[in-house]
Amino acid sequence: MTDPTSEPTQPDEKATAPAETERTAYDGSDVLVDAKGVKVHFPIKRGVIFDKTIGHVYAVDGVDLQIRRGETYGLVGESGCGKSTLGRAILNLEPPTDGSVVFDGVDIATLKGEELRKKRQDIQMVFQDPLSSLDPRQSVESLLFEGMKAHGIAKNAKEARPRLVELLNAVGLPEAALAKYPHEFSGGQRQRIGIARALSVNPKLIVADEPVSALDVSVQAQVINLLEDLQDEFGLTYLVVAHDLAVVRHISDRIGVMYLGALAEEAEADDLYAAPLHPYTRALMSAVPVPDPVIEDRREQILLTGDLPSPSHPPTGCRFHTRCPWRQETKCDTERPVLRVPEIPGVGQSHRVACHWTEQIEAGEITPHEVAPQATDLSDLLDGDASLMGPASISEAL
Amino acid sequence: MSNATASSTTDPGTDTTNVADRDKARRWREGGSEPLLRVRDLRVTFQRQGAEPFEAVQGVSFDVHPGQTVGLVGESGCGKSVTSLAIMGLLPERGNKVSGTVDYEGTNLLELSDQQMRDKRGKDIAMVFQDPLSSLNPVIPIGLQVTEVLERHRGMSRKAATPVARELLDRVGIPDPDRRLRDYPHQLSGGMRQRALIAIALACQPRLLIADEPTTALDVTIQAQILALLKELVEETGTALVMITHDLGVVAGLCDEVNVLYGGRIVERGDRHDLFAQPRHPYTNGLLASIPRMDAPRGQRLVPIPGSVSDNLPWTSACAFAPRCSQPIEVCTQKMPELEEHHQRALRCFNPVEVSR
Repeated sequence: MTDPTSEPTQPDEKATAPAETERTAYDGSDVLVDAKGVKVHFPIKRGVIFDKTIGHVYAVDGVDLQIRRGETYGLVGESGCGKSTLGRAILNLEPPTDGSVVFDGVDIATLKGEELRKKRQDIQMVFQDPLSSLDPRQSVESLLFEGMKAHGIAKNAKEARPRLVELLNAVGLPEAALAKYPHEFSGGQRQRIGIARALSVNPKLIVADEPVSALDVSVQAQVINLLEDLQDEFGLTYLVVAHDLAVVRHISDRIGVMYLGALAEEAEADDLYAAPLHPYTRALMSAVPVPDPVIEDRREQILLTGDLPSPSHPPTGCRFHTRCPWRQETKCDTERPVLRVPEIPGVGQSHRVACHWTEQIEAGEITPHEVAPQATDLSDLLDGDASLMGPASISEAL
Repeated sequence: MSNATASSTTDPGTDTTNVADRDKARRWREGGSEPLLRVRDLRVTFQRQGAEPFEAVQGVSFDVHPGQTVGLVGESGCGKSVTSLAIMGLLPERGNKVSGTVDYEGTNLLELSDQQMRDKRGKDIAMVFQDPLSSLNPVIPIGLQVTEVLERHRGMSRKAATPVARELLDRVGIPDPDRRLRDYPHQLSGGMRQRALIAIALACQPRLLIADEPTTALDVTIQAQILALLKELVEETGTALVMITHDLGVVAGLCDEVNVLYGGRIVERGDRHDLFAQPRHPYTNGLLASIPRMDAPRGQRLVPIPGSVSDNLPWTSACAFAPRCSQPIEVCTQKMPELEEHHQRALRCFNPVEVSR
């Protein structure tokens, strides 16, 4: 296990086997973010006088991903899969325990202090909850001006004003909004302010963590369209972190599906939705309700049993094997699969999947079977004991 | 996609599920059964200090037949949750006024005393809430919270109730129920907590279950599990279900009849197949157009509904949706349209969306 307190190390050849993946060759010039073997482990501490580390939460455990200039990369997964932590690690808001994040040719994991602060001008974030991420005591003008001042774009509010009005126009708010405070706006408008704030320092990359999940359905579409328009207008690159597959599919060019701290599958948006390969992706996509009764009645759902296992005690081997309907006797519980391009005719080089049996499942040689649900014991996190997990009973319901 | 929808509605003979659904709906309507719950002109007004009273629910009427699943859909602020709380008599005592009738098997629930209502709640009518962690008591083990209902309503001793509670937990798919009986809510995952809550709601075999956004706080794979469980339980026990949600996808797969709410009123009602195939109200139509869909071709732009609910408060006496509507006519801003029943559909609109297919 890696000591979380040590300096982030360069992965080079020393990266451990599970984190190492077979990389597909992209033209290096258009890559904006190149994350290699990123790990973020949080220590679980305990003790009255001495803090003793009794375990780790393996929030992100060996992720390789590349984001190309001008594209939208979507990161999907269920809560607790580490998608938000990965997003924050790319901004260095959560310093990676291990691995490197090369942004525009500079490894930001090694940057510190003033250098890091300056670099942040290029990477901005849009948060999920627009009300708690906007200071309630600052007017919109001062909220938007703060970042510009910090990065030396404008010296005083008067000088910045034309730019602020321009920003508000870009996100569809009137000039009068400048004098108002966050509580005076509706949820959708607040999210627009959050986006304007991110734009104010001319970033190259915007990391949007669940940008529309707090909004009503009718307003969601407004913000999604806005994000798309801004991308066209300013040539932005997005990393969109979300749990809603339909939203991610709509907005993203490429999608990475995360499960328990690692990527399970990565592909172009169209490929992923047309032909999901990883058993988890298949199950996830079949679980999304479609607003059409005819489709709802006909489709076959792959119902996963049980919950997401605790990230402090991730399953051995393939992390999904405890819930996988295609699980095999060999390999699955002992060997951690690497992200690789499967040898399936018709599947492109950009489609990568972390499953030992992809080819066999796709060919129909392996059929799904029933899985006994295993409960996740949340007290794991409290007392670090997973041995309580007994054999689960199969209820007839599932 | 739209072709498939259209063909199945214009030619129902080819679609067996559709036919079965329609038969069921017809039975309910044509006097096959008396409605279990009959809500008429339900109004809830909140008194506010130093401000005009605010009418959150403005005359909602709907029926629920035994074994039927009825959906109430709408965005936040449309009054769907307040409607359910008013039916259950769970609104705070002060600061609000509830009028209309909630007829449950011949009794008007709104006229019952607190004591009489407490006897009904949990026994005849049960409720499942959105956030299972805040609806479960954090300092009492799950088992005790299930047996409490059995002791209160079925007069069982705790000793006799424990095996029943175990059975219930097993029934809703909680693994290792013996151990879970002794667990506290914080030791369960979100999905398991929701299952426990469903077990409590079903403990007395209620005839009506009201589920207020039961899957909103859950992940999609867990949501699929819970929805499958609800569907199965409803079919098996014949419990009527009122499903309150903002998610049209959830409604499409689960509800027999769908009521779309906006501004404290029902704006459209219909059988789920008819409603989704031919939304007539501009709001329903707009909602469907604004949702990114998994099965739609990519790169298509979403058509959002402009503005938001809170921009247009308070709702004027005219149509509440008029300021956001894509096709308002003059009369829309002058008076409120009535809910007109027509061929098993109900619609509250002066200028409905043309039937194009």
